[in-house]
Amino acid sequence: MEKYKFIEDLTSDVLFEAYGKNLKELFENSAIALSSVICDIKKVGGEKSFDVELKGDSTEELMINWLQEIIALVDTEEMFFSRFNIIKISENYLKANIYGEPISPEKAGIVVKGVTYYKLKLEKIKDVYKATISLDI
Amino acid sequence: MKEKIQKINDYEWSLPKNSRERMNVGAKIIANKKILDSIEDDAVQQLTNVACLPGIVEPVIGLPDMHFGYGLPMGAVSAFDSEKGIISAGLCGFDINCGINSIRTNLTVNEVREKLKELVPALFKAVPCGVGSKGRLRLNYNELDDVMTHGVNWAVENGYGTKEDIKNTEENGCMPNADPSKVSDLAKKRGLPQLGTLGAGNHFLEIQKVSDIYDSNYAKKLGINDQNQVMIMLHCGSRGFGHQIATDYLKIQEKAVKKYNIWLPDRQLACAPVNSKEGQDYYAAMKCAVNYSFTNRLVMTQWIRETFEKVFKKSWEDMDMQTVYGICHNIVKLDKIKGKEYYVHRKGATRAFPDLPVLIAGTMGTASYICKGTETALEKTFGSSCHGSGRAMSRHAALRQFRGEKVSDDLKEKGIVSKASNWKSFAEEAPGCYKDVEEVVDSVHNAGISLKVVRMKPLGVLKG
Repeated sequence: MEKYKFIEDLTSDVLFEAYGKNLKELFENSAIALSSVICDIKKVGGEKSFDVELKGDSTEELMINWLQEIIALVDTEEMFFSRFNIIKISENYLKANIYGEPISPEKAGIVVKGVTYYKLKLEKIKDVYKATISLDI
Repeated sequence: MKEKIQKINDYEWSLPKNSRERMNVGAKIIANKKILDSIEDDAVQQLTNVACLPGIVEPVIGLPDMHFGYGLPMGAVSAFDSEKGIISAGLCGFDINCGINSIRTNLTVNEVREKLKELVPALFKAVPCGVGSKGRLRLNYNELDDVMTHGVNWAVENGYGTKEDIKNTEENGCMPNADPSKVSDLAKKRGLPQLGTLGAGNHFLEIQKVSDIYDSNYAKKLGINDQNQVMIMLHCGSRGFGHQIATDYLKIQEKAVKKYNIWLPDRQLACAPVNSKEGQDYYAAMKCAVNYSFTNRLVMTQWIRETFEKVFKKSWEDMDMQTVYGICHNIVKLDKIKGKEYYVHRKGATRAFPDLPVLIAGTMGTASYICKGTETALEKTFGSSCHGSGRAMSRHAALRQFRGEKVSDDLKEKGIVSKASNWKSFAEEAPGCYKDVEEVVDSVHNAGISLKVVRMKPLGVLKG
């Protein structure tokens, strides 16, 4: 199963679908998709880790909060992230470790300004969880 | 949806209130036929989404640079009743006060062209560009509070720019009643290291030459006298600070939509009644980001001046490097238009009040314009005009069609020296991804909402 794919939908922004066989994988793969926009994720190491603990009123909100947290950490910690390990997840709570290295121009992608509500959807199709997420670039 | 568009004249098109269910008002598009034909049907549909919001005032405006966006099109203006309307974090978008500053010089093309290969890399070093570069300033929380409430006055007090810069910035570079207590700690934390950074995406710094002057009297007032004069254009916004404020209030207003029982055709259009706490708190926090962004552009302007001083061995004052004007193009403002107040939401749109400058950015290979606003704009578009040439191709398609190295080489052939933080940036922002700026500006000029004053062509380009 592929982890994520970008969909041609928005003219100036980015929309992607992420997949997983459970919520853990879905959230990890969504984070990888986001991070691959922000940096050259294959070249980014994982020497430094951060703990993330979040709540959300719904699973959708939890996903938005998760991705927004990563976007904010890029700015506040000046880090690129390459690996996301969700330790605990329920429909409205998650705990994770995320790994990365300090930002550098050589490994930079593009600034993600925010996660939008446009076409936002989390669904389960047969045994596969799917998230549809758009980013303002 | 486009089949429902009716012609008013060669540059104005209406979409009646009955084009779909639940529209409270009609919509209007400013465009010549060529541009109108190129606008995506979905973007037109999105204009009608905005027309469904409570307290919207006739009509919702689509400008010629309009293109499909998330929730609403980029290049749109919506005005709301100051009592019965809404204020929307969604309609303003994430990059609060993304905008443009235009700076003049008295240098000639020949003087600058021979130094371009030295100048462009020097500017790239002086102005942090892209997501991978660190800012040169590290504010503390008290300083950030001052930036939020005093805007460019903070910059001038701290040696970035002069009182002349303040005078030549929309809102004098500081919206009153910005309230830092309405801004989250996380937004502040993101704002501390990023003042004086360009960002990425379509943000740029460009060295330009004046190629045409259409209104020499008005151009003279702006200090633009000569066709060979070199200009500078800076396009950027409120960085992570504004992005976080937008993110925080989108969430707050998402909940407000349910609380106040507002029907939305798209969740991204989250909003709150103008006189609600959720509406006014956003407005007071948004102003903090607006002021941060004005300051961000002026801080970088001063670094640009210092870089020119090093390269040309003259003081910036001797090179007459004054701000021509600085404008916003993602903003909510309580504007007084024809005696009545409205909360005007400009998303990828510029204010075009009578006799005030309007700055329209082209692409890195095409012209940009300085226009002037008009009475007609007050009558037709709530005193607004377009902000750029408008994207025509998605980033995804651009990466398939263009290679960054080739885009840079093509610019080189045109005599344009360019530098970006990475090749992908060049491909995604290739001139071919955008509409023809000449057609866009032709549309606003002939519709009478902003008149051409000066046309500039790029000489050197820096992308984030």
